[in-house]
Parts: sequence; structure tokens; C-alpha cells
Amino acid sequence: MTMQATEIEAIRKSVTVPLPVEKAFRLFTDGVNSWWPVATHSIGHEDVEDVTFDPDGKRVYERLADGTEHEWADISAWEPPNRFLLTWRVNPEKIGTEVEVRFSADGEETRVDLEHRGWDKRGASDRADYDGGWDFVLGKFVGAA
Amino acid sequence: MTTYALALDALGDGTRRDILERLRRGPRAVGELAAELPVSRPAVSQHLRVLKEAGLVTERRNGTRRLYRVDTDGLAEVRDYLESFWTDVLAAFEAAATAEAEQEDE
Repeated sequence: MTMQATEIEAIRKSVTVPLPVEKAFRLFTDGVNSWWPVATHSIGHEDVEDVTFDPDGKRVYERLADGTEHEWADISAWEPPNRFLLTWRVNPEKIGTEVEVRFSADGEETRVDLEHRGWDKRGASDRADYDGGWDFVLGKFVGAA
Repeated sequence: MTTYALALDALGDGTRRDILERLRRGPRAVGELAAELPVSRPAVSQHLRVLKEAGLVTERRNGTRRLYRVDTDGLAEVRDYLESFWTDVLAAFEAAATAEAEQEDE
């Protein structure tokens, strides 16, 4: 690991899946409920009814059985089937981090590159363009981990 | 709470991130931090206590002064947590994608 002594580097993860790009993108977004591990990787855990990528409303959120919604992110860029960019946002006063997911053709398969970055933005608390809540995924998900 | 959970909580506050950012440039005493920030010295002390409990800073006596510096262990835990979080998510995605591809082959 090449972590700098005093900062959190961007997390980069890649996976190659046996689907064409369009299908991989659709499964990741529209099909998120068929695979996202909400029991452990969500705010409401077992109470989560569904998760929605809503490019028109520019947001990603989970909905509980009782109708409560928890914001996961703003959608900052939506370029199907190649890329989307999220800004995690729960508490507007807290730092936002970016999650970028890219889908690229690798023969008949698709390589998915995920990068989670930006939690060490200095002075981000007074910058309007980083108004998300990075302790959302980073903090509230922690409970069940 | 585990250390990474405490660290994530601690980092949710802008002043604490500011303090940590300043400590990245080198060890400092409470008074020095208070002079640079728009918060009182007791408030800085309180923030430092939270950061210390979260494993993000350590303190060391240097003569009569108590100096604070960044503790890399806390940050490493946060990063490890994030790594495993996204590893889990992508593994779940890969499994679903593989299942979908196999279904289409049938």
C-alpha cells in the first residue's frame, strides 16, 4: 500500500464482468436492487425496501418500508453507459466525497472502474461545491460492518 | 465504536478537519492552533480530544509544551474500511453480472 503518511488516498477498485457495457451499466444502476448488499451496506440495513438511481432527479436514495427516504448521493454526471459521478450528500455541512464509476468495453466484457476520492479536501466545509456528507457512506454504513 | 467509526465521526466536523490539515504541516501546540483558527482555545482542546480518541492525532510532551501531531494509524483504519466497503460492493456486482450472463447463455 502506498498511502501517504497523513492523508487518505483515493480508493480505486476495478472488476471485469461478462456483460456488454450497456447491460453492465444498467445492472449497476437500474438493477441495483438485485445485487447491492443493503443488509450491510446501507443506512437502514434490513429495513431498506429499495434503492433508486434517479438520473432525472439527479439523486440516489434508499427507501425504507415505512416510506422514509435516505439520500445517498447527488448525481453530478450521468453518461450512460460509460460513466456516472456521484457526490455523497447527507449532511450539507459536511465534506462531500466523489464516487466515479466508469464502464469500458473489454472485448465482449466490461471493465468497471470505481474511484472514491476527495475526503481530504481542505476547507471544504465552506465550499458550496463540496456540500455532501462523506460520513454518510463512510460513517453511517459503519454500524453494520 | 471501533476506531474507524470514531475517526469517520470525528472527520465529519469542519473545524476538526481544519485542525488535522494544519497538523499535517507539522506538530503544533494548542495555543498555536487556537491563534490560527476562529475558535477558542478550550474549543480547540475539545476538538483535539475527539481527534485523539479517534486515533487521528497523538500528543507528546516537549519540555513544558504539549505538541499534537497526526496519527497515521487512524487514517489507515479509515482507508482500510473504505477499501473493504467497495470491495464488497463490487464483488456483489460481479456475482450478479456473472449470474445474468449465465442466465442468457442458457
